[in-house]
Amino acid sequence: MLNSIRVKFIRGEEVKFISHLDLMKAFERALRRSGIPVAYSQGFNPHPVMVFGLPLSVGVTSEAEYADFDLAEAVEPDEFVERLNAQLPPGLKIVDARKRQRKENIMASVVMASYDVLVSVDGKWGIDEMAASIEQLMQKPVIMAKKETKSGVKDVDIKPMIRRLEVKAAEELADEHCGCQRLYHLFMLLSAGSKSNLKPELLLGALNDLTGLGLKIRKVHRTGLFVGKEEKVVDPLDACS
Amino acid sequence: MAVRISDEILHSVEKPSRYTGNEWNSVHKDPKYVKIRFAFCFPDVYEIGMSHLGMRILYHLLNERQDTYCERVFAPWVDMEEKMRENNIPLFALESRDPIRDFDFIGFTLQYEMSYTNIVNMLDLAGVPIRTSERKAGDPFVCAGGPCAYNPEPLADIVDFFMLGEGEEIINEVMDVYAAWKAEGVSREEFLNRIVNIEGVYVPAFYSVEYNPDGTIKRVAPKKDGYPQRIRKRIIKDLDKAYFPEKVVVPFTDIVHDRIMLELFRGCIRGCRFCQAGYIYRPVRERTPERLLELAKKLEESSGYEEISLTSLSTSDYTGLAYLTEELIKEMEKKKVNLSLPSLRIDSFSLDLMEKAQKVRKSGLTFAPEAGTQRLRNVINKGVTEEDLIKSVTIAFSGGWSNVKLYFMLGLPTETYEDIAGIAELGNKVVGAYMGVPKEKRGKGLNVTISTSSFVPKPFTPFQWEGQDTIEVLKEKQQFLLSRIRSKYIRYNWHQSELSLLEAVFARGDRRTGEVLIKAWQKGCKFDSWGEHFKFDKWLEAFEECGLDPYFYANRKRDYSEVFPWDHIDIGVSKKYLLRENEKAYREETTSNCRVECSGCGAAAFGGGICVE
Repeated sequence: MLNSIRVKFIRGEEVKFISHLDLMKAFERALRRSGIPVAYSQGFNPHPVMVFGLPLSVGVTSEAEYADFDLAEAVEPDEFVERLNAQLPPGLKIVDARKRQRKENIMASVVMASYDVLVSVDGKWGIDEMAASIEQLMQKPVIMAKKETKSGVKDVDIKPMIRRLEVKAAEELADEHCGCQRLYHLFMLLSAGSKSNLKPELLLGALNDLTGLGLKIRKVHRTGLFVGKEEKVVDPLDACS
Repeated sequence: MAVRISDEILHSVEKPSRYTGNEWNSVHKDPKYVKIRFAFCFPDVYEIGMSHLGMRILYHLLNERQDTYCERVFAPWVDMEEKMRENNIPLFALESRDPIRDFDFIGFTLQYEMSYTNIVNMLDLAGVPIRTSERKAGDPFVCAGGPCAYNPEPLADIVDFFMLGEGEEIINEVMDVYAAWKAEGVSREEFLNRIVNIEGVYVPAFYSVEYNPDGTIKRVAPKKDGYPQRIRKRIIKDLDKAYFPEKVVVPFTDIVHDRIMLELFRGCIRGCRFCQAGYIYRPVRERTPERLLELAKKLEESSGYEEISLTSLSTSDYTGLAYLTEELIKEMEKKKVNLSLPSLRIDSFSLDLMEKAQKVRKSGLTFAPEAGTQRLRNVINKGVTEEDLIKSVTIAFSGGWSNVKLYFMLGLPTETYEDIAGIAELGNKVVGAYMGVPKEKRGKGLNVTISTSSFVPKPFTPFQWEGQDTIEVLKEKQQFLLSRIRSKYIRYNWHQSELSLLEAVFARGDRRTGEVLIKAWQKGCKFDSWGEHFKFDKWLEAFEECGLDPYFYANRKRDYSEVFPWDHIDIGVSKKYLLRENEKAYREETTSNCRVECSGCGAAAFGGGICVE
């Protein structure tokens, strides 16, 4: 039987500028401080056996990150959360955990991610015009974008990777924005994972190219990560037991 | 008020986590409840500053005080500096993001001369007047310490006061005086008056310098009777009892020394005549293995680090090394913590140890013979013989190593071309030693790297009277050595001689060289030790405009009778002793290390460590 725990954690403002590699290191060191009996890899440089979901870009916050930790001895999820949280730096916090009984790890099973993207736009664009522009984009049979791949920059149709794209009104941030700018939240549900992956930045670029909105990203926040089949996605915590 | 750094700025710079803090074990306090705010500044980037043991100690030591909030400040890299200047963001402290111009102290640690322009730049970026004379009531006090502070004179017009020697005690004494002074609200000068008689404190503005017509110093004298004639460094007599933090700030991003550093001892018994560290940290004082094991355990538990390294000037000289390493490996293996070892003197014991400790990829081994012939090694008192070296590399090659680095210096006193040719020959002998090891025992792919740096005469060494070779001579010597290296197994690297020249100027510079620093900074010099930012032509312009000759400071051989800019600083080791050592060097005579025999250097005056064992 698998001796492993899946956790859901948040990555806040305090730590959003660290790289994915640094994030893993932060967890590794927190684990060692906690004394939780995690399983270590074999070899000259043993590391805890842990797998993270979809790496988050530098500068992005999240309320729904996931990771799997293999254990050397059984530890109850509640105890795991309590002991690890006591050792995590500000900005990293585990909010839930389950025993993982299915073999497939989180990284291999992610298929979709949702984002809340705060954008600023020229003041002449009201919410209705924004919605219309988005509608116009989504009507297109294909949406071409320049995507960076392992073999260089390629023109790719990103339309199939966009599940949902909606605009929502935003609270005004009075101090830093003059009247000539407006802020909106964009809700995005996008393909994610090893098979097909779309980053919010790329979609926003395509939106700008096609509509001339001139949107500027202010903040990107990941709100969810999903596993399962594209047609029927589920929460990674529900999927592991 | 904390400065605001927008996401846009952080997105636009390299390695933004240099500026965002919040690392594990970093200390956060409410400024409302402290009396003293201290900005501990390292005049280089985060990754370098964070690796510095002295900062790790003093940061936590100051924060142990209820009345003090010590925060870290590093030199922002050029991209961040540009954004800060564009957006009027003053230099801020990492923990609170408050501008450091509002702090009580701005303290710099001086680790290498070529960081001095960064000090000027950081003060400017902070919005603090660069010169002591321009600072007024309400401005922070700018202080400094660290190895380069033993010749404080190039920074005498910039730094309000120096703390000489080991900081663990003196800094608390200064803070105590400050707390009382601040409550009274009396003048800036009055504070300096109150600390000038704390042993180890040097207030340069309280001393006047007179020069001879030839530009050398006639005398340095206190301006008032009450000021000390000579300023003696501070040491911690018993390291076991001295404060050592049980916590270490654990960075997110990779830093240069990203591990626990366990300081075995201070000082060095060897007395290599070119090495400043070998004299300024005397006498040798060890921690006991028991104390070190206790510290290692606590540091490991509080940091979660995956690696512990032993640090000291010459770790092989630690008397308890075998016991300590055995116990450490036992303790740390179960926690999956690696022990990393510095360059040890290679013998069968250390090789065995390396096998056990590091479970290594057999990566490079480093040796520092420093000079190519026995004659010259005797001159510099480097107690390594050719036989030692060949024996060591043979053991290493037999153990499967095949990567060897050899460090040498060019331009040492009395050096001849025969000595330089000797470097190439030594390299060949190392190759020969490899070939002599049976194929099945040695590792594949022999790689010998010879690196030469240029000798920089340093204050408080037996070579403090020596002239540095000119850039032209050094370049000739590098070319000569290159032409002598013919083995395909040997690679040769050398240091930039222009940088060594400047290092030599500021290592032995007097008060007048401070203006050159400021001038060079005005011309855009900073991060000089980062090759891509080193602007030698601007430095030469700065010297010329200040009417100073760099060759006067770097290349001139001094008379035994010359008064040095640092003669009023007392490190315990006497000038007489250094002079005697200089004479012995020319007679090619060696001096025994402190454990074999006391050579009477003067450090016994401190009544601690090896001198009283």
